[in-house]
Amino acid sequence: MKLVIGNKNYSSWSFRPWIAMRVAGLTFDEEVISLYVEGSREQILKHSPGGKVPILIDGGTHVWESLAILEYLAEAFPSAGIWPSDRAARTHARAISTEMHAGFAALREECGMSFWRPPERRALSADALANIARIQEIWTSARARYGAGGPFLFGKFTAADAMYAPIVQRFATYQVDVSAPVKAYMQAMTALPGWQEWRGAALRETWVIPKFEYDWPQVKRLPAEAA
Amino acid sequence: MKLVIGNKNYSSWSFRPWIAMKTLGIPFEEILIPFGAPLGNPDFRTRLTAYTPAGLVPVLIDGDVHVWETLAIMEYLAEKFPEKQLWPADTKARAHARAISSEMHAGFLALRGECPVNLRRPIRERALPEAARANVARVDAMWSDCRARYGGPFLFGAFCAADAMYAPMVARLNTYGIKVGREALVYMEAMMALPAWAEWRTGALAETWIVPEDEADWPTVLSA
Repeated sequence: MKLVIGNKNYSSWSFRPWIAMRVAGLTFDEEVISLYVEGSREQILKHSPGGKVPILIDGGTHVWESLAILEYLAEAFPSAGIWPSDRAARTHARAISTEMHAGFAALREECGMSFWRPPERRALSADALANIARIQEIWTSARARYGAGGPFLFGKFTAADAMYAPIVQRFATYQVDVSAPVKAYMQAMTALPGWQEWRGAALRETWVIPKFEYDWPQVKRLPAEAA
Repeated sequence: MKLVIGNKNYSSWSFRPWIAMKTLGIPFEEILIPFGAPLGNPDFRTRLTAYTPAGLVPVLIDGDVHVWETLAIMEYLAEKFPEKQLWPADTKARAHARAISSEMHAGFLALRGECPVNLRRPIRERALPEAARANVARVDAMWSDCRARYGGPFLFGAFCAADAMYAPMVARLNTYGIKVGREALVYMEAMMALPAWAEWRTGALAETWIVPEDEADWPTVLSA
């Protein structure tokens, strides 16, 4: 299997299936495409008519869209624990994953994912603050209902954690005020070896995308050694 | 099972699981809560909170399980009623169906913004900005590709969840007189000929609530 992804520093969508596959212990090659440069769109279209990363390639099957990739993996590797095994928990996990998939537009716009951006608070709109409140509620209620078996949303790490992984990074980068249980969840996520591996690679990247740099032409970034 | 939905005239998200369940023969009871809007129903949020923490329609209620988000509802139904074939039986086709369903779930924002679902609006052409035209081109190409690959009449042969996901798109392209290729047009005709389509449309046309945000010609309200 091969996973085609975008810049590790910025591509929140790429991060989702990547970390799910790493944590599940699935073997895959990766192809990283530098986004928003000449030729990148053509390179993506070679793999998927949707024109977006990530794309999973398994033999002759090309799967695009993070959620569809996670469903494909869940079917292909039923013992990998991509979704919770309990039906009620699995249904809940899919609902919150889908909520992530199409939601929280204000937060995503105002707090772009960037691993190299030094942590710093940022003034946010009422809509973004409402997104943050809803996400904290999602995490806290999933942990309370289904999280007894471990530190993640459904105890063990599942696709739902993968879907929210970029939000964890955004909360950390923009120093969002969170409750103690949310902080503990974020710590469990960032302590994952897969997380550290992705973060290290992101910090070493040299591709800068001006429209994702809030201080452009200045690029505030942590040194690669910070990884 | 119960399905909580919004206004039939406007709620594109409600239309999706509703038409999937009707077309595939999954019995359910419908609970309709009209949207909050100046001329609509101001206590929409309050009434909906009783059914879902996310505050959005649709919501599927099966005993004590409450499922929100359209795609999650489709997956729930696919697991509960495997014989109904919510998704295509072939692995590769199923992955394809899920990919385009997800693409719909989070995409085509420009087109959705320009062309709100509004079933009572008479067919009237609307000029679109470039971003929305690019969305139309992608949908047109996707539908043609699916029909060529899987033979029609629906995207993957028999009607499945992917068709349900694109049902509101069919309504948009039709209502706003948007030009698409022949294959896409034939597909739209197959969708609009479904008995469930006619049933939903009849319900929509009987509604009297007006939601200004979803009236593309506001303050004019075009009505068939």
